[in-house]
Amino acid sequence: MPPPNTPEEGVPAAVSSPPARARRSARNASISSVAATIGSETQGICVGSVGDLSSRTRPCVLPINYQELRYESEVDKSLECPICRTPFSVPITTKPCGHTFCSVCLLRAHQMRPVCPIDRRPLDIDRDFCKARVIHDQLDRLRVKCPSQGCDYVCPRELLAVHYERYCEGTPVPCPDNSCDLWIARHDATPDKGCLHKYTPCQYCSKQVMKAALEEHYDRECSGNTVKCAECDVDVVQHRMESHVVNDCPSTVVSCKWSSYGCGKKAPRRDIWAHEKKPCVYQAIGRLVKDREEDRLIISELRARLSTVEGRLRMSEKEKTERKERKRRQASSNVDNTENTIPAFVPDLNLSNSPRAAASYNNGTWDSPEDYMLAQFERMETQMEDLRKNIHELDGLHSMRLLNDTMRLNEQIAELGSKVGVIGMHTTWLMNVQRQSRGQQRAVGGVGSPLGAFASSSGGSGATSGATAGGVSDTLRNAPDNEGGRYYSSNMPPRRNSDGRGENPPRL
Amino acid sequence: MASQKRIAKEFADCTNNAPAGMSIALANDSDVHKWHVTLDGPAESVYSGGKFGLVVTLPPEYPFKAPVVTFATRIYHPNVTNDNVGSICLGLLKPENWKPASKLLGVLEAVRLLLVEPQPDDPLESRIADEYRRDRAEFDKNARAYVQRYAKGLVKFDGTNVGPDAGAAGGSGKRSTG
Ligand SMILES: [Zn+2]
Ligand SMILES: [Zn+2]
Ligand SMILES: [Zn+2]
Ligand SMILES: [Zn+2]
Ligand SMILES: [Zn+2]
Ligand SMILES: [Zn+2]
Ligand SMILES: [Zn+2]
Repeated sequence: MPPPNTPEEGVPAAVSSPPARARRSARNASISSVAATIGSETQGICVGSVGDLSSRTRPCVLPINYQELRYESEVDKSLECPICRTPFSVPITTKPCGHTFCSVCLLRAHQMRPVCPIDRRPLDIDRDFCKARVIHDQLDRLRVKCPSQGCDYVCPRELLAVHYERYCEGTPVPCPDNSCDLWIARHDATPDKGCLHKYTPCQYCSKQVMKAALEEHYDRECSGNTVKCAECDVDVVQHRMESHVVNDCPSTVVSCKWSSYGCGKKAPRRDIWAHEKKPCVYQAIGRLVKDREEDRLIISELRARLSTVEGRLRMSEKEKTERKERKRRQASSNVDNTENTIPAFVPDLNLSNSPRAAASYNNGTWDSPEDYMLAQFERMETQMEDLRKNIHELDGLHSMRLLNDTMRLNEQIAELGSKVGVIGMHTTWLMNVQRQSRGQQRAVGGVGSPLGAFASSSGGSGATSGATAGGVSDTLRNAPDNEGGRYYSSNMPPRRNSDGRGENPPRL
Repeated sequence: MASQKRIAKEFADCTNNAPAGMSIALANDSDVHKWHVTLDGPAESVYSGGKFGLVVTLPPEYPFKAPVVTFATRIYHPNVTNDNVGSICLGLLKPENWKPASKLLGVLEAVRLLLVEPQPDDPLESRIADEYRRDRAEFDKNARAYVQRYAKGLVKFDGTNVGPDAGAAGGSGKRSTG
């Protein structure tokens, strides 16, 4: 069984050209479509064979198993799937509880039990999941080692698929022998070598060894025809002696691996190991230069990709103008102007039955209507991807702006609220004062001006004035208790209602 | 396959932060799906002084299916079958409770806790559970006798120290499905 892979992961839309069908289903956000993709066999990426229907039965390279990848440095725990405990591949988030998993892991858990694998909340496979876009970038940047055997290439995860599928010599590809369904490293997959999965007796120890593993057998376990290395006392198969001395023997004098950056140290290999580990002072420079070189490599790779994209664009443009030209000629001869109104990017859907369309494809750059269709699909997909990105950016900008604005408004509202509160307090206090003075006026007999009444009452019995002072100070003491001013602004009782009961000012 | 990495990480987690009195090792180096755990009887329990062997088996479907934990050493406990299988009743591991995101470290902690605090309301051995509830002194005596008889000396995982003759010490009780 081929390991589950993640076809969409890090495959730049513009470069590789997988069968458009498979890719389209993988990009759909619904998890059930992911399920369909995982189950299907058309997940491998066939470079440059868009219309090649015959090669779809088996992927062109062994799909990358993202869960088995080795990362250059420790990956942050927050990027680890809680199920497989490796950095997410095609992360997916549960909507009700916000937990993130690899699509593959979640799908498998969901098949066992349709609940969240962390908090066991019931989850509906079609509604309750969305893509986890936020961490996608972080995952793309993780530096990862190429999974091919014998390959030391390290790159950001985003670019791994390109290296693995197009350039890596160690990538497992289908055995050139059609009757064999095993995989073999790309550099060994030549028709003249044939199937290397057949067993053959080792010429030194006569053990049965698979042809592809012969080199490894010599290195590791071969016991025949060995000799002791004169320098280091290790048993080595005779015909590997040369490579042992050059590459492995700890006694061979070699120079420091940073020698091209200025280190002049030369010593037996075992001393050099210690020297390099110390570490060598030229290491920092060497690392820097290496990084620069790597950057340059990436840049050139990107540039190559750009130029292919541009080439394709130019081709389609040429094709478009050619088609327009042809149409114009046709139109002028037929005197049928309606044809011109068809937009250029709408492909003629009646491909096989329309002789005119077929002729135009055959004369143009595309070999068959299917090719043309697929190319168009691909172009539209790229455009859609761009649009989606733009929308996301706009979305983010929008919500930022909204947040900023509402924050300011909220502040202003809070300020107004507190001001209203203060005003309310003042109003109550003033009302109370007025009410009390009026009450006193009435008590004195309602003669004279309120001022006079006030004066006379203060000069009157000590009990009354004491009560007044107490009442006022009571109100004052109570006023600050009333927070926010909501009570005053909305519920303040009309003055007339409490007019008769001046001694009992409205309390809170 | 994919679970291999997860198991490796779980194993590292468990060995690096082993719960009190536990030591963990692979049953054999080529198979990460079977672990041997040695557990010292917790000091605060009647099992103190004993050394118990636990076998943790991870099914091929792990972590989508729960691991299976059994006692390789006989133990007198309401939640462990009193036979040479040593099945444990642990809520965490029941199929309807298992969560693929659960960590094995938590499982081991739970087993240790089960020795400190037996759960007589969810028993595998209802006779022992009854005894635990009604006559604690008798239960303690029996449990200690088992420790003396089976859980002293070197822990064996091959089932030789859980021989079928063990019935004499406590008698096999009526079993309930837990
Ligand atoms: Zn959840
Ligand atoms: Zn996962
Ligand atoms: Zn490679
Ligand atoms: Zn072959
Ligand atoms: Zn040999
Ligand atoms: Zn040597
Ligand atoms: Zn050096």
